[in-house]
Amino acid sequence: MTDNLLQNSSCPGVNRRDFFSHFGTGLKGIALASLLSPDLRAAESKPPKKNFEDLKPRPPHFRAKAKAVIQLFMNGGPSQVDLFDPKPTLTRLDGTASPARIAEELTFPKAAGGLLASPFEFSKHGKCGMDISNALPHLHKHADEIALIRSMVGEHFNHEQSLYLIHNGRIVPGRPSLGAWAVYALGSVNQNLPAYVVLDDPTALPVNRTQSWHSGFLSPVFQGTRLRAKGSPILNLSPPQGIPGGVREAEMTLLRKLDEKHTHARPLNPDLTARIASYELAARMQLSATDALDLRQETERTRTMYGLDGTADQVSYGRRCLMARRLVERGVRYVQIFIEGQIWDSHMRLKPHLLNATRKTDQAISALLTDLRERGLSDEVLVIWNGEFGRMPTAQLPERGDLGRAGRDHGPSGFSLWMAGAGIKPGTIYGSTDDIGYRAEENPVTVHDFHATILHLLGLNHRNVFYTQPSHRRDRLTDEYPARVVKGILS
Amino acid sequence: MRHKLFSLPLLVLVTTGAPASEPREAALPGGVTEHDILPILQLRCVACHGKRRREAELDLRSRESILRGGKSGTVVALGKPLESLLIQKIVSGSMPPVEEQQDVSVRPVSAEELRRIKAWIESGAPRSPPEYYQAQKNIGRKLTDEDRAFWSCTPPKRPPVPEVNSSDLVRNPIDAFLLAKLEATGLTFSPEAGRTTLIRRLSFDLTGLPPEPEEVVAFIEDHSPQAYENLVDRLLASPHYGERWGGYWLEGAGYSDSEGKSNADDVRPNAWRYRDYVIRSLNADKPYNQFLLEQLAGDELLDYRAREELTPEELDKLVATGFLRLAPDGTNAHAGNFVPDRWDVISNELEVVCTSLMATTIGCARCHDHKYDPIPQSDFYSMAAIFTTALDPHDWLRPMERYVDRAPTRERLAWQASHEKVQGEAAKLESALEAQAGPLRERLLEEKLEKIPEEIRSDVQAASKIPKARRSPVQKYLVSKLKSELKVDDDELVERFPEFKSASDRTSMTLEVLREQERNKPQIRAAFDLGGEPSPVYLHLRGDPLNPGHLVEPRPLAIFNNPSYPYTIKPPWKHDGSSGRRLAFARWLTRPGHPVTTRVLVNRLWHRHFGKGIVTTLGNFGKTGARPTHPELLDWLALEFEARWSLKSMHRLMVTSTAYRQRSQQSRELERKDPQSSLLSRMPLRRLDAEAVRDALLKISGQLDPSLFGPTSPVEVKPDGNIVVKEVGAGVRRSIYINHRRTKPLTILETFDRPQLNPNCLSRRGSIVAAQALQMMNSETVRQQAMHFARRVTREAIGADEQVAHAYRLTLCRAPDSQDAQLAKSTLTTLRKEWIAKLREESTRESQGDLHTEADLRALASLCHSLLNSGEFLYID
Repeated sequence: MTDNLLQNSSCPGVNRRDFFSHFGTGLKGIALASLLSPDLRAAESKPPKKNFEDLKPRPPHFRAKAKAVIQLFMNGGPSQVDLFDPKPTLTRLDGTASPARIAEELTFPKAAGGLLASPFEFSKHGKCGMDISNALPHLHKHADEIALIRSMVGEHFNHEQSLYLIHNGRIVPGRPSLGAWAVYALGSVNQNLPAYVVLDDPTALPVNRTQSWHSGFLSPVFQGTRLRAKGSPILNLSPPQGIPGGVREAEMTLLRKLDEKHTHARPLNPDLTARIASYELAARMQLSATDALDLRQETERTRTMYGLDGTADQVSYGRRCLMARRLVERGVRYVQIFIEGQIWDSHMRLKPHLLNATRKTDQAISALLTDLRERGLSDEVLVIWNGEFGRMPTAQLPERGDLGRAGRDHGPSGFSLWMAGAGIKPGTIYGSTDDIGYRAEENPVTVHDFHATILHLLGLNHRNVFYTQPSHRRDRLTDEYPARVVKGILS
Repeated sequence: MRHKLFSLPLLVLVTTGAPASEPREAALPGGVTEHDILPILQLRCVACHGKRRREAELDLRSRESILRGGKSGTVVALGKPLESLLIQKIVSGSMPPVEEQQDVSVRPVSAEELRRIKAWIESGAPRSPPEYYQAQKNIGRKLTDEDRAFWSCTPPKRPPVPEVNSSDLVRNPIDAFLLAKLEATGLTFSPEAGRTTLIRRLSFDLTGLPPEPEEVVAFIEDHSPQAYENLVDRLLASPHYGERWGGYWLEGAGYSDSEGKSNADDVRPNAWRYRDYVIRSLNADKPYNQFLLEQLAGDELLDYRAREELTPEELDKLVATGFLRLAPDGTNAHAGNFVPDRWDVISNELEVVCTSLMATTIGCARCHDHKYDPIPQSDFYSMAAIFTTALDPHDWLRPMERYVDRAPTRERLAWQASHEKVQGEAAKLESALEAQAGPLRERLLEEKLEKIPEEIRSDVQAASKIPKARRSPVQKYLVSKLKSELKVDDDELVERFPEFKSASDRTSMTLEVLREQERNKPQIRAAFDLGGEPSPVYLHLRGDPLNPGHLVEPRPLAIFNNPSYPYTIKPPWKHDGSSGRRLAFARWLTRPGHPVTTRVLVNRLWHRHFGKGIVTTLGNFGKTGARPTHPELLDWLALEFEARWSLKSMHRLMVTSTAYRQRSQQSRELERKDPQSSLLSRMPLRRLDAEAVRDALLKISGQLDPSLFGPTSPVEVKPDGNIVVKEVGAGVRRSIYINHRRTKPLTILETFDRPQLNPNCLSRRGSIVAAQALQMMNSETVRQQAMHFARRVTREAIGADEQVAHAYRLTLCRAPDSQDAQLAKSTLTTLRKEWIAKLREESTRESQGDLHTEADLRALASLCHSLLNSGEFLYID
């Protein structure tokens, strides 16, 4: 039922239903003209001559598998050997000295301990027989839907740099994030909602704060917009409390008349018309965003499935997963769900620490996958589960050397992530790490490969998504790095 | 030899996280010499065996010092690598020491690097031959005559001022140059704008603030032929001129009040001194060449180390070098302080210097020869070698350490007094907490001791009380085995006793607040020559600092070389080894007839006055940049400027031209013949920029605190995510004085396109987005200002009609016409009704009179709010 809500690559631009819905809410003048301008329909097979500055829908470079993305970002560095990458050798060598090569990569060399077996059991699931840790019981039933990459490789051992890398392709801040590049290249089919939405944890911003969804040198219209779960969903979306509707109306009428007079005396000024359109859009956004986030419209069954009857933190994550589904249904291109702080950063007390993170997220993620499938959206929406790096197979010891309180240090050299949905070959395991789960061995996948693959699924050639700087340098998400599309996980 | 090396099992220890570099035998025809191994030692060793820190009295910075050895004698046995202490220490994994690596941000020596050092020792630690230094001159692409003939590489030439038909329209030569082109297209200037428009345009342009209604009236009624020129002079003399144009300079320089790079985003407590220096310099119309000399090499202009007291002018020369300290710098944190991170800082500073002062895009040459412009890769590193005298990647000072500890006496004494007070208070707090901790610690220790088996308990206790050196082997064993049972650290107390946790949290919070004051010690955030022999600079192959190539010499970009004004390094004084490299660069840059220095500056001024530059790419005069629309005019202005280096004269010249006084009205004909207005057939209609929007709101509402200079105003993040200025006391300061922390951009400024500086910005993007409408319509900030505005209007004008007129004059600089007045009147009636209904609903106790007064005020505030949202307020004709 929903495919016509998402951009259809064979008919980019606006579809009939969108057209009438815009018409119905009084879209007029420049905004409508811009939505229907003929250049939107022209196929853009060649690289664009100009930098994009707006959110008009643009056709992909080739037929897109995915029309929207939901990225479940797992801040802190989820431990691959405890979740997705079982290592019998590690279990066997538990407690023995760690190989010297590991010492050079540790963030905290002074706290280095020996090899540490996983405290979790693994079991095989689905027809594909994928090994998944028992820390993720709800995910077990989705083994046949996901493609697991076990050979991710990062570039830095520190959170901040790795977060910049995973979000914007370089270990420094100030560059556009993956989501910003996606909407830069593709625009959005729903002009009444932000194209790139961030659902961050209401308790706290993630570690790199707003840098994780920044638009860098791209226009700010491509920046991720935080939609808050409580109160006014968008910053300044509604007027402060206590201003009567009638007052608002009178103010708006006055403003419109002032602007009409001003514009009338200054004809042929597109900036002034665009300004008026921006005020109209602001008003429409208020209605659309409020509606999109109204979870009361969901059935009891759905709400239960997402765990909205669970504990407070489960509810919080479940709500964001459910909101994400409602947003992609409405044509939002890129949704990122963040989680508080660095809950996957298990430096100490490995087992309870990891269980805390899985308990908050496992059920809701499973519900999201089920829900998308049941609504026929899994053919159009790509779901990505990833952190910024993984962890070491060795123990990190607390100051007093108590092995019972051991955790794991950061491990950027071989970690796991998964994707599901549009364009993904289900039940796939791609790549592997060495026998202790330390370093990617077979088919290593760099972060640039990861980015190129996601853009590919969105119908974009990563080399042709670029921004031309005043120096004429072409900046890309993948920059000049050798990046390849990971064909092995594609359907 | 090589296969033997690889069979050594210990080599497993010395791989590295760095990408493996390809064997460089081909690049080293003369075998491995001095300059092939020095850069390796720079990366892996000199952090502890260098200039500032010299462990074991060993200095590994030069061939001579390596051969000299250290405390344990020689470290290199010529011809015998395996017998050399240097190699043994690396191979055994004891150097660089694992436990130190994190603290000094160093990584182990790679297998390839080790192989090279061994080869060097094997062959007798040779110097680099004379051919090596010869080759230095020949790295990278050669300049051609065509390169040298490119417009921005040749000195500006004084062109004749063209003859035009409408010579009556020519107020100064600017007009002649522009008219000549307009007339050739069949156009002329648009008519002069009205006086209201002119004073609004000029006030915002020169001071960033709207004129007061009295000023508008005075200007309109001034019938002297010099009325306009007098207004220009008055505005240029205003202290707010320096704030407005200082803001532009700071943005081009990349000013920020925090270090950026990391999430800690450390505050730069003394950065504002540089901001004030810029404002002061502009207000005083400091000659631009002097301005540049001070910012690039102020520390080399006076021998400040040899002087006890410095005058404010002398202090300013040090403050000025803050210009070279503006790039994001995350090296306070160990994890962000590796050599490549330091090179990022240097590279960003170079980019600021090159784009803002020379309109040259040098960034490309960090990794390879520039693809379009004649800038070989070696030029990047040669330029870098000018600045590494202050920012030396191998003699690095973290931002918190890179200060000149000088300040005006009065400030220093005041801080000293408060500092001592803080110390006293902190000591009191800490001892109070310790008093509370004492008994708890005893209690917990007893509990822990009870867990030790009774048989050994007393032995263990006794052993722990004996000094370490006098313990028997058994006692040593017991203590080491049970050391965590024998002491109680604060973490354990916090974990065990909730009441202690809250006391401890309270104390740390108070201490944090106290220490905040301590951090604000008056110091100068400066860039200064580090003295002594600067570390040699090597080109980075493919831009990778871990992959060093050939040695380079310090010098500016070759393309701007002029044999008559060579780059000549001369140390400014002898005793402490200040190198003079930056001073020589500053003199080279401000020499007469430099191809870019003056062109770049007048173009930047033009851009701000006329909406876009004569060269529209302000920071790129290269092949990929735009060509000047009026090359003769640009040269004429550049040479005119060079005669006096006076910014204010240049402003005066530009804004008193006929061109600047044109109206902005668009027409079909103009749209057709001069679509982009690049011929300046009219003035552009422009939106107020972010700072002007905010500052004007404050001025109109009467809330602006117009005082100049000083520490920054703090900001706060509201629960809804809005970032606003913290309210402290009465009055709010102009945007330039706000704490501009990279991670906390003021929402209203960010929404209206104030950019994130990475590292700098010369020309902003002008976006029109819904977020701006939401900000102006709905934000608490703007609502509050509208309320203040209404109160001001009620105070200053009596009667509804007069109040409406006053509100119009304040926001739009004009009185309402009859249509406006009618609209305002009917709207106010509606608004009043609505507010009365609302207020009645809310409160029944209020008397009728109060309620009506309040409704009048709220209605007026709504009207003011709409005026502040109007296009007429937000745009300048």
